Amino acid sequence: MKLHVNRDLLSDAVSFVVKLLPQRTTLPILSGVLLDASGQTLTLSTFDYEVSAQTSVPAEVATAGEVLVSARLLSDISHRLPHEDVTLETNDSTLTITSGQSTFVVYTMPVDEYPKLPTVETWSGEIDAEEFATAVTQVAIAASRDDVTPVLTGVELTVSGDSLTLVATDRYRVALRTVPWTNASDTQEISALIPARTIGEVAKTFSNQGVVSIAITNGTDHDMVAFQAGGKRVTTLLIKGNFPPVTRLLPESVPNFAVVKTTDLIDASRRVGLVLDRESPLRFTFSLDGLLLEAVGSDQAQANEQVEAFLSKDDVVVSMKPQLLIDALSHVHTEYAKLGFTTTDNPNKPGPVLITGQLAKDQVSDDNYKYLLQPNLLLR
Amino acid sequence: MSRQVAARQTSSVDVDDGSAHILHVDMDAFFASVELLDHPELKNQPVAVAYDGPRSVISAANYVARRFGVGSAMPLAMARKRCAGLVVLEPRGHLYRHYNRMVMDIFADITPMVEPISIDEAFLDVSGARRLFGSAGAIAAQLRERMFSETGLTCSIGVAASKYVAKVASTQAKPDGLLIVPASRTLEFLHPLPVSALWGVGAVSAKKLAGLGLDTIGELAETPGRVLERALGAAAARQLSALAQGIDPRTVAALTAKRVEKSISQETTFASDISDPATIERYLLQLSQGVARRLRHANVLSSTIAIKLRAADFATASRSRTLTEPTAVSRTVAEIATDLYRASGLLGRPLRLVGVRAENLHAADGGLAGPDLLWDDEGKWRAADATLDTVESRFGRDAVLPASLLADASLHPDINRKGADGGLDT
Repeated sequence: MKLHVNRDLLSDAVSFVVKLLPQRTTLPILSGVLLDASGQTLTLSTFDYEVSAQTSVPAEVATAGEVLVSARLLSDISHRLPHEDVTLETNDSTLTITSGQSTFVVYTMPVDEYPKLPTVETWSGEIDAEEFATAVTQVAIAASRDDVTPVLTGVELTVSGDSLTLVATDRYRVALRTVPWTNASDTQEISALIPARTIGEVAKTFSNQGVVSIAITNGTDHDMVAFQAGGKRVTTLLIKGNFPPVTRLLPESVPNFAVVKTTDLIDASRRVGLVLDRESPLRFTFSLDGLLLEAVGSDQAQANEQVEAFLSKDDVVVSMKPQLLIDALSHVHTEYAKLGFTTTDNPNKPGPVLITGQLAKDQVSDDNYKYLLQPNLLLR
Repeated sequence: MSRQVAARQTSSVDVDDGSAHILHVDMDAFFASVELLDHPELKNQPVAVAYDGPRSVISAANYVARRFGVGSAMPLAMARKRCAGLVVLEPRGHLYRHYNRMVMDIFADITPMVEPISIDEAFLDVSGARRLFGSAGAIAAQLRERMFSETGLTCSIGVAASKYVAKVASTQAKPDGLLIVPASRTLEFLHPLPVSALWGVGAVSAKKLAGLGLDTIGELAETPGRVLERALGAAAARQLSALAQGIDPRTVAALTAKRVEKSISQETTFASDISDPATIERYLLQLSQGVARRLRHANVLSSTIAIKLRAADFATASRSRTLTEPTAVSRTVAEIATDLYRASGLLGRPLRLVGVRAENLHAADGGLAGPDLLWDDEGKWRAADATLDTVESRFGRDAVLPASLLADASLHPDINRKGADGGLDT
């Protein structure tokens, strides 16, 4: 194999395929990047049997061929090459990278032992890349970071007709968002449980690519989802297991609610929360006078702050962990936020709080973003 | 066996001169005696308590059996060689715990200063009880009478000014005896005894001491410290010298406040190695239930569940998992234990021992209620455990069992205890 390629194109391509590769792979060979030169393109691929990434860049190919080298090493090298003209050439068991006055000789790994990347037969449909990126960020925040319950580390993606719904939960909160979707074929309703980290990276990387194509294969031995945009493709195996039916926890309507200015409540929660341990809840008292935030129960300091709030009906007192509330408020992307207070059979035990976006004091957001937060038991 | 036992010594109550205030109470052949309460016809026959299996060792032997040279921790096969007519009874742990509680209750009536050493022995500091009940010797005599009349069991008691001398005294008084060693007569009592009666002298040290020509405690007491140091090392030499002088500064450490456990665990050794994963998993389920039950009784939650697997070649593997939400739910503990086993790489390998351990314990502040979650997977299991705990407190442990543990003759007897012996255990 021998070819010339532009340094910046190479460097971008390598960063993309290396990004989703785990720090440590089970087999050394899986830490490699497969370079395939043919026609007028150089194709780069990584695959660890779980996640694959592939992209192509234009190149001047003198001799076609394939070579497998350490992905991280190639990434480090390509970022620092001195000249924009880069030559890649294989000898027996090495790849020589030449750029300007610098030369690297990298040992290669056996190509024939490298696994074949999964292929995609049919695409399920398409979605606006920017909208997809926003929705994924809004929902993935609620996914569990704890491997103890693997299904909760995923984002559940469901396509049905002309909408795509994303849901995630860590049992403390549920986040849900629905976005428009263009069905490619006559796909029936289909779901995929995708590792939150992977879908987060994919959405971010593809956000400026216009349109993302998605293919879901579910109900086979190798359930997977594929994303493709702008010549880049990512596939990942789905998380096995049943996602809990959390959408039914979301109430249809909540008659008792308060509307607050989003940034006001974020700032106040951060300030008052300063005196608390990370895991301790703040007390929120909503009344006709507005909202009072109080940090009590710390042995070092106490704090409180009054924030303007518009309450629809009855006074409410709830305890919530500030970070979980801030996660919601920083993802509604609206000037105002609405907090709906559900009730339980026990009058002393408030039910979950439904947080949604609000364009103005009296104008509901139409983005369907819902974030349901379980309050903590009140400290007396 | 290796430990020489000098002729039995006892004393009458009036030997007490007021200097002795520590009692060492040791139940006589405890497990065997408890079993004989149910089998009075075997009273004059050699009886041992042990599981009947190829690797079994004797848990306890009555004094008739001991005359044949049968003793605790002896392999059953050897015991049968020494005593052909040995009657072997299966251990019933719940019975021993029941009698242990009765015994501890009797102690508690006398003094709160009770330090249990094991299921069948304890130290009592009666210095505060003497005004109420008379001298330490009189208290010991009353205690022995009360023990027999309330439980039908006999015990031996040593009374002395230190824990160590009290312990040696009870050994000398066995069985069914009382020996009071006033402070002034401590050395007179200790010095004729063999060095093996000293705490910390096992077979190896005894051999080293014999090499120096030291057979009795008195000879050891007269030996210069540096000679002992060369033979035993500085720390051991210092300790033995002190003990030989009857000096033991340790006080009776009463369990006044409830002890906070660092971990709670249960394990079992199989009569013969087991490789069948389904059988191993049933053991893990049973052990998990025991561990979770003890978590609930102690009102604590565990954040880390671990298992221990010992292969036939004694290679021992531990696996653990830390949880987001601490638990005391039997099913959760069992699920994690099973998962850990399946992922251990030892699936299908012959094992001789399995164990389940709960670590990282926290007080269950809000009782055992669930955390603040949107939904609670454990809720119904927590309710089930509460119900089972109530049933067990009325009808005995294992009155209700998971179906997979019902009437499975292949399981170890202690593991596969049936509900029939209920009522005593809580």
